[in-house]
Amino acid sequence: MDNQTPLTPAMFHVLLALAGTEKHGYAVLKEVHEQTRGEVQLSTGTLYGIIKRLLADGLVTEVRHRPPTEEDDQRRRYYALTPEGRSAAAAEARRMEKLIDRARSKRLLQSLESA
Amino acid sequence: MAGGSESRSDRCYRALLRLLPFDFRTEFGTDMEEAFREQRADAAPGKGAWIRMWWTTVRDMVRMAPREHGSVLAQDTRFALRMLRRSPGYTLGAIVILALGIGANSAIFSVVNSVLLKPLPYAQDEQIVMLEQRGRKADTLNSHFSAPEIADYRTRSHSLSALVEYHSMLFTLLDPAGAQRVRTGVVSANFFDFFGVRPMLGRGFRADDEKSGASAVLLLTYEFWKQRLQGDPAIAGKTFAMNDRAHTVIGVLPPLPQYPDDNDVYMTTAACPFRSANAADRHWRLMSVFARLKPGFSPESSRTELAGIAQGLEKEYPANYPKTPGYTVSLATLRDELTRKARPMLLLLFGAAGFVLLIACANVANLILARMSRRGKELAIRSALGAGAHRILRQLVTENLILSLAAAACGLGLAASSLSVLKQFAGPFTPRAQEIGMDGRVLLFAIFCAVGTAVLCGSAAAFQSRKDIPQGTREGNARAARLRAGLIAAQVAFSYVLLVAAGLVTRSFVQLQNVNPGFQAHHVLAMAFDLNWSKYREQEQIRVACRRLLERVEAAPGVLSAALASGFPLDPDAMAMGRWTGRFRIYGRNDAQSEAPAPAAIRVVTPGYFRTLGIPLLGGRLFRESDQAGSAPVVVISAALAKHYWQDKSPLGDRISFDGDKWLTIAGVVGDVREYTLDHDAPEQVYATLEQFPSASSLLVRTDADPATALAQARRAILELDPQIAIRLTKTLDEVRADSISPPRALSRVFGFFAVLALVIAIGGLASMLALSIQQRQREIGIRIAVGATPGAVTAGFVRQGLLLTGAGLGVGFACAFGMSRLLRSLLFEVTPTDPLTFAAVAALLFAAAFAACVVPARQAARVDPQIAVRSE
Repeated sequence: MDNQTPLTPAMFHVLLALAGTEKHGYAVLKEVHEQTRGEVQLSTGTLYGIIKRLLADGLVTEVRHRPPTEEDDQRRRYYALTPEGRSAAAAEARRMEKLIDRARSKRLLQSLESA
Repeated sequence: MAGGSESRSDRCYRALLRLLPFDFRTEFGTDMEEAFREQRADAAPGKGAWIRMWWTTVRDMVRMAPREHGSVLAQDTRFALRMLRRSPGYTLGAIVILALGIGANSAIFSVVNSVLLKPLPYAQDEQIVMLEQRGRKADTLNSHFSAPEIADYRTRSHSLSALVEYHSMLFTLLDPAGAQRVRTGVVSANFFDFFGVRPMLGRGFRADDEKSGASAVLLLTYEFWKQRLQGDPAIAGKTFAMNDRAHTVIGVLPPLPQYPDDNDVYMTTAACPFRSANAADRHWRLMSVFARLKPGFSPESSRTELAGIAQGLEKEYPANYPKTPGYTVSLATLRDELTRKARPMLLLLFGAAGFVLLIACANVANLILARMSRRGKELAIRSALGAGAHRILRQLVTENLILSLAAAACGLGLAASSLSVLKQFAGPFTPRAQEIGMDGRVLLFAIFCAVGTAVLCGSAAAFQSRKDIPQGTREGNARAARLRAGLIAAQVAFSYVLLVAAGLVTRSFVQLQNVNPGFQAHHVLAMAFDLNWSKYREQEQIRVACRRLLERVEAAPGVLSAALASGFPLDPDAMAMGRWTGRFRIYGRNDAQSEAPAPAAIRVVTPGYFRTLGIPLLGGRLFRESDQAGSAPVVVISAALAKHYWQDKSPLGDRISFDGDKWLTIAGVVGDVREYTLDHDAPEQVYATLEQFPSASSLLVRTDADPATALAQARRAILELDPQIAIRLTKTLDEVRADSISPPRALSRVFGFFAVLALVIAIGGLASMLALSIQQRQREIGIRIAVGATPGAVTAGFVRQGLLLTGAGLGVGFACAFGMSRLLRSLLFEVTPTDPLTFAAVAALLFAAAFAACVVPARQAARVDPQIAVRSE
């Protein structure tokens, strides 16, 4: 990860969306939208800017094999996480977990939960 | 959304995608369009959601586009720097050549910008005009204005506001350190308010300072204050004696270009004894007039009004406006006045610099083409790996842009280091020379040059690459070779034009240098001094002082002859201050009353003047010691004057008069002397003798050795006579003569520099192109030598190739030079713009240089070892 772009929240969201299964661009947009209950809304421009960087950093790869014909659209391209992408997302998740633990230890989250 | 709007949305989105870099679009464009289509289909119904979606899409696209472009640029730059580092010879060569081209252009542009483009450092400079009164029929010089005329124009003109007057005089300023000759601007009290100039120290003139009887006050110029008074901060309030009065310094002006003269100090009109004494004399025309155009008036409408006023005055005062020259008044904007002399010359030099840049571009384009042919393999591989033609093109342009920007930085450095030389060069042409400097505009210009050269140099190469990458090879090589040959011919053509221009200007300068001025300058020392007029009021006082001074100087060792005079040929001050002329009548000729008398330049001299300056006597006699105050007044006239008014008859014994009262007998005729400039015909001159018309401001000494040795003696003689005499100039006449042609000298040097630069670049380009061609054709040469071609034949073949190109370039260059050289006409002296000698000599020079440049690489070709050459492929 040393030479790679640091993960922005939007990149992390894209990695998370791809963590389950390979997806095409719009599916990623939709997943992010749904998972965040509409709090994060990526535009196509932002999404492909992120995909370009993740591809260049080797965190994401384009999938060559296509889905069954009836679901496929020739114009679509599918992306999947690489092992590096998976570990980068995991590392980011762990970093966040630690942060949350610290927040809990400071009783910041308790008050939020009880609220 | 309806079907129609659907496709419109798609089109809009596709248009929006064009903001992104080409590569990005190629890679993700279709995918993005598809995603957007689906996003749109799934969007919540309603206008609000529709607007939100579009807003986010457009906003994000506008935000990300510069970032994406930046990342491509950074990538291209890194790659280009790596490629350039790999061929340091090429990189250095291209940067040096372009730096010379851009540097020459930036340097000349900094002059053009400071002199022609920047507004004058005066408030609302575009409104300021200068009035000129001149002959309507004859194109006589600006004859200036008298005080009553200024008052008339002030009251009668409705198109002008705030008329201010100006004239310049030399006065002697006495301070404890001694006498100094100071050039004094005599101005209206509101003169500096008019120009929006505030003193940097003390106060400016007030209306009270101009009232008659007001105490005399002085404003010092910045330069005078700094240089002669060591920038004394407590100068305000100090007094100096001048014209027998105490003058109080009231302030110091900021550093500014002065026009029309570089004055040392300024006083108001009330303090000038001559102006005050002649305030009511309509004939006493000495003053320049500046005014501001009132809002709503153009220079043209004001000109019409002024001509009308002049006609009115002519009718009211017929005695003051003789019919022959037919007086009229016109105006010119101050900016035009300040730059009139410099403009054509600067534009020509700018053109010349442009030619140098074009040659540099052609040369670097050739270097690029040569490098391209070596990089063919690399580009083909990149193309095969999927780099589109567009990508490669962009890469090439980036490389060129880096080269040109580096060259622009070096060029700006060159231009900055030449600023002092440029100021010196522009000095004789414009009072704005001291303002020359670099600013943001020069920087922008250099960047513009860099981008322009990158596009010019790169586009040829890029075009070549796009055509050849897919097919590669032989056909492409042939096309590249043709393009390279064309570029070489173009360089030769441009160089020829520049060399012709430089040749013409230089030849004109040489002609000027060889002009026979009518006097012998060698071994003559000239000193300009001024008797304090307030001390030498009586004619007899002047006579006695002059006799004593001349005796002392003539007695000094090494002095062959000496003379005193009211001036001397090519005196720079006489040129700046105007000529001393008068109008005369010839006794016995009945000129109509309406006709103006004939004008002549007047010089008062001692008898030794002609011998000292080596002016030949052509008829009659020179002045004698016996031509005294009491004896019959005599004059000596110049050959031109004699020929004009007496044609083939002898003027000797005829009488002329300047005032219609005192008649002067013509005793002799002497040779013509070019008094004012070497490129103008000698004026019609009348010489009078000092004993009869006492006035002296110049001492001329002919010595048997270096005249500089007589300098100390002459100076001592003057100061021993009267320590209050101010000496304003001491030079040998050779120096005076050389100074008088310094503008054409400067011009020929700059043109020469550009031409040599162009020649070196073009010839270097020719040699390197031949060398490359030989390198590429090693195998062919090897085979030819193997089958029996002699080294001589191989050498001759390549020399012929080089000379053919030179010949083609010369042909085009000749046509261009023939068409363009007439632009130089106004700068040339006794040389026609199509001077055959210059055209032929320059062609021969260029041909010889090209021959030398071809022979060196061509002889290399003859040394090719056929075995190695054939094996190397």
